[in-house]
Amino acid sequence: MGELLLKNISIRYGRQSVIDDFDLRVADGEMVSILGPSGAGKTTILKAVAGLIEPAAGEIWLDGRLINAIPPEKRNTVMVFQKPLLFPFLNVSQNVGFGLRMHGLAASEVNGKVQNILELTQLSGLEHRKVHELSGGQQQRVSLARALVLKPALLLLDEPLSNLDANLRHQMRELICKIQEKTGITTLFVTHDQTEALVMSHRVTLLLDGRLRQVGTPQELYYEPIDKVVARFFGGVNFFDGRFRNGCFRTVFGDFTLPKVAGNGHPMTATIRPEDILISTVNEFDLEGRVERTHFEGMATRVWVSCRGRRLEVLAGRGEYYPGQAIRLRLPSDRLRVFPPEEN
Amino acid sequence: MKMPTRYILTGMVIFVVGLPFCQLLIWSFSDRWFYPGLLPQAWGLRAWQYIFGTAGNQIIFAVFQSVAVGAATAGIALVVGFPAGRALGLYAFRGKDLISVLLTLPVIVPPLCVAMGLHLWFIRLGLTETFIGVVLVHLTFCLPYAVFVMWGVFSNYNPDFEDQARSLGADTARVILRIMLPMTLPGIVVASLFSFLLSWSQYLATLIIGGGKITTLPVILFALMASGDRPVAAAVSIVFVVPAFLALLLSARYLGRKSMAGVW
Repeated sequence: MGELLLKNISIRYGRQSVIDDFDLRVADGEMVSILGPSGAGKTTILKAVAGLIEPAAGEIWLDGRLINAIPPEKRNTVMVFQKPLLFPFLNVSQNVGFGLRMHGLAASEVNGKVQNILELTQLSGLEHRKVHELSGGQQQRVSLARALVLKPALLLLDEPLSNLDANLRHQMRELICKIQEKTGITTLFVTHDQTEALVMSHRVTLLLDGRLRQVGTPQELYYEPIDKVVARFFGGVNFFDGRFRNGCFRTVFGDFTLPKVAGNGHPMTATIRPEDILISTVNEFDLEGRVERTHFEGMATRVWVSCRGRRLEVLAGRGEYYPGQAIRLRLPSDRLRVFPPEEN
Repeated sequence: MKMPTRYILTGMVIFVVGLPFCQLLIWSFSDRWFYPGLLPQAWGLRAWQYIFGTAGNQIIFAVFQSVAVGAATAGIALVVGFPAGRALGLYAFRGKDLISVLLTLPVIVPPLCVAMGLHLWFIRLGLTETFIGVVLVHLTFCLPYAVFVMWGVFSNYNPDFEDQARSLGADTARVILRIMLPMTLPGIVVASLFSFLLSWSQYLATLIIGGGKITTLPVILFALMASGDRPVAAAVSIVFVVPAFLALLLSARYLGRKSMAGVW
């Protein structure tokens, strides 16, 4: 079991408010990420759940038990920090067995469990290595093993992959997902990397400026952002205004028939992802445009198009595009996302 | 470092440190040694016989007295210096600079002034000619060093290790014993050693506050030096240096462990 419930959590450092009224529910066995830029207060939330920081207000429930007043060592949560933080005076197996010894387990039992977890985290054979003899990736795996061996109700991961190079990060990502699937440990992890959050989590919580902006599945956050800020965070670049009139969303690019009609007559902002815009060099679409510049990105070519006095960014598949070229665009209505304009 | 350079450097260190010792050794085994003789005219064990025989009890007592004062000073300096260093190294608070200046004061003010000033107070408090009085006056010199060393240690210390241990199930006592102490051990050894050696070599302050009642080794050594008996003074000097040298050798293994500095 490991159901986490955060109710109206507010955290302050001195007089400065870091987290304001934060709510979150993580179901048993779920992997939820808290995504946000540096300084958004992600780690602070994790530390509060781990018991290392006391929230100024709010309640933290784990498995139906209010744990605000319970010290970190008795919470049944384990936090893995951004740095591996392996104790330098202990070897690998001693590091992994540290928590078990703190919980008063007999040496034989500790050894058995340590062996099992080292196997699961692909560290067998490194038991007697000193910490400084390990590579960065190995250190982070030991750190993960040290937490997993305790089988906590809730595993808290604080950007455990951010110190690794791209290749290792990819491997570790796979490993964490595999282990999480196998053990079913409820996991709350923090990252500033949107790809990581989208790939690894069942649900993503977007935290901006200490406030929760949107919670949902990776697809929901990516394709159905609730506002311009969320859309922009996930790489949204094409924004344009329009108004709903008689069931139609009227914009500079034409009228769109949208399934949901809200705010009739009021100005609204629409967005469409660059990869959702259809582009063609022949006259098959009705919107005329001219290529301003292009950027080859390997899997696609990013094309900046001026169209009806605006600029749209399009991700095009294989094809030849060059500045000054006349092209045609289509903005599929079902890919359009409309929300109230940004509050200033 | 290249091997030949290393040998030359080691040789130079041995030469600079070892030569005065040779001189002392020769003096301690000489009976008569007058100018311009390069070596003593007569060799003998008179000085050593004096130390282990005639003045044996007095010197043994002085050694114990010095060790006791040194150990008590180092112990208290560490007990106070450790938390003080942690506070100064890890936290930002008002008056940190002022504390730094106050800590430096006893180090830069001549020991004679400090001891003379404290003497009046100690007389009023009844601390003169007492063991505690001597330890307290030694602390005025040793405590700043202990605090400075631990300040340095904690400036490079990552307290996240403690949070990590706590999250893994360690309570406060275990965090201190299993994490904080092992991580700061080299600093603890250096601070203790500094304090012990500083106390070990204190003469003036011991003489003023101890008033001749607390006879540590330097007090005896200076008395013998003043008497003009060079062979005996040389032998006492060797007795004076050996324990300090042993303490340094024993702690060298801890000082070499860079991996335990807690800097990650």
